[in-house]
Amino acid sequence: MNAIETKGLTKKYKEKTAVDSLDITVEKGELFALLGVNGAGKTTTIRMLSCLSAPTSGDASVHGHSVGSEKNAVKEIIGISPQDTAVAENLTVRENLEFMAKVHSADKEKNAARVGKMIELFALSEVENSLAKTLSGGWKRKVSIAMALISEPKVLFLDEPTLGLDVLARRELWKVIRQLKGKITIILTTHYMEEAEELSDRIAIMINGKIAALGTLADIEREAGQTGLENAFVAIAERSVG
Amino acid sequence: MMNRITAFSTRNVKELMRDPLSYIFCLGFPLIMLLIMTLVDQSIPPESKMTVFHINNLCGGIAMFGQTFIMLFTALTVSKDRSSSFLVRMYATPMTSGDFTLGYIIPMLIISTAQLLLTFTASFIVSLITGVQLTVAGMLLSLISLIPSAVMFTSLGLLFGSLFNDKAAPGLCSIIISLGSFLGSVFFDAEATGGVLLTICKCLPFFYCTKTARSAMALETGAEEFLLPLLIVCISAAVITGLASLAFSSKMKADLS
Repeated sequence: MNAIETKGLTKKYKEKTAVDSLDITVEKGELFALLGVNGAGKTTTIRMLSCLSAPTSGDASVHGHSVGSEKNAVKEIIGISPQDTAVAENLTVRENLEFMAKVHSADKEKNAARVGKMIELFALSEVENSLAKTLSGGWKRKVSIAMALISEPKVLFLDEPTLGLDVLARRELWKVIRQLKGKITIILTTHYMEEAEELSDRIAIMINGKIAALGTLADIEREAGQTGLENAFVAIAERSVG
Repeated sequence: MMNRITAFSTRNVKELMRDPLSYIFCLGFPLIMLLIMTLVDQSIPPESKMTVFHINNLCGGIAMFGQTFIMLFTALTVSKDRSSSFLVRMYATPMTSGDFTLGYIIPMLIISTAQLLLTFTASFIVSLITGVQLTVAGMLLSLISLIPSAVMFTSLGLLFGSLFNDKAAPGLCSIIISLGSFLGSVFFDAEATGGVLLTICKCLPFFYCTKTARSAMALETGAEEFLLPLLIVCISAAVITGLASLAFSSKMKADLS
């Protein structure tokens, strides 16, 4: 069974088609990047896969559960770190993690162990008692991803996780994401070429709601006849639009 | 389900307790009004026979006035959450609209109860200073009779927070605060005034909140003085809570469509 399968997944907002008949499969443990410019349909795709937006037509399954008819089952096995750092600002880092753990499970011992694990994995010990509102953007993103992982999800959605971060914070976050590779299925949206290049097993280039190219970096370079993801992306985008 | 409600309630209590404004408005402001109105009462000549600012009448009115600020903070909390991506994250968890509704209402009721206890304690101290007698039984009955109005104002906050954004909701709450204090007969005796004003007051639930609390304080538990106004407040609380739950649930569905 694949981690994610979409069949004709479509989202329309009145006349605008944000995602147009998306057919993709993502294997378990894969880090799959959705790459595209603003408005390409990346976030809408993630929203549909995480039950935050109902598809207009088509369907998608996460570990065999339909996002249309088995929302609760899907929500039990996913974690999401939205584009904006969605943390409770007046709670400390530890309290944010404890809060999310408790939302998913009533087992106090298991929750305490999970919180400890996240603090260690994301090296949050130096800020664990700081209020979230006092943290820098980089720390907040780390906390946001840790909150998404606290329920030990099978699929993690990262919506532009490094947007607005400086180069050091971005590299720091890449290090964390690399540690997760293989252990969990990750769907990452980004419009940073080097991020997709650096982290992904496979990349899907989205243009105007459609998949314009899909494969490994080598596959995409070969298809575009260009070297480097940025050159390949530009060639594919120009071909798709033109 | 309980763990989700407890987790969300705890988060809301912590968020509120760490906001200095909540102390100023939810706890400090009603106390300041209590003291100011007591000073006003002391300045009114006894021959005027104006008793509305006597602590036995003032206590219930100020307690109800304080609850209107709980409404404001509930509306602010809900509308701010809705405008941030925090609720987006929460929508992707197994939390249901019922979990959210109870998770918002329960902590506000806890804070409202703390506010009531503080107001009644301060009123008792004022009564000792001014020599106006307050009975423990009257205070207890009055405090308990204000719980339905606490539910009503908290739910009203949830309703406004669900329907309006974080810029419009506080403005609407300010209107309700003004209406509640004026038409609730907190700072004047509507029944002594009579006429059209009393008719208008009787059309809104605020008047009955104050009347119930004042009657309870005086241990007047007759149908007209206490039971009927209490019933009206309870029905209003139930209707507004139902509407608030419906509004939040509808907005959640719309957000997820």
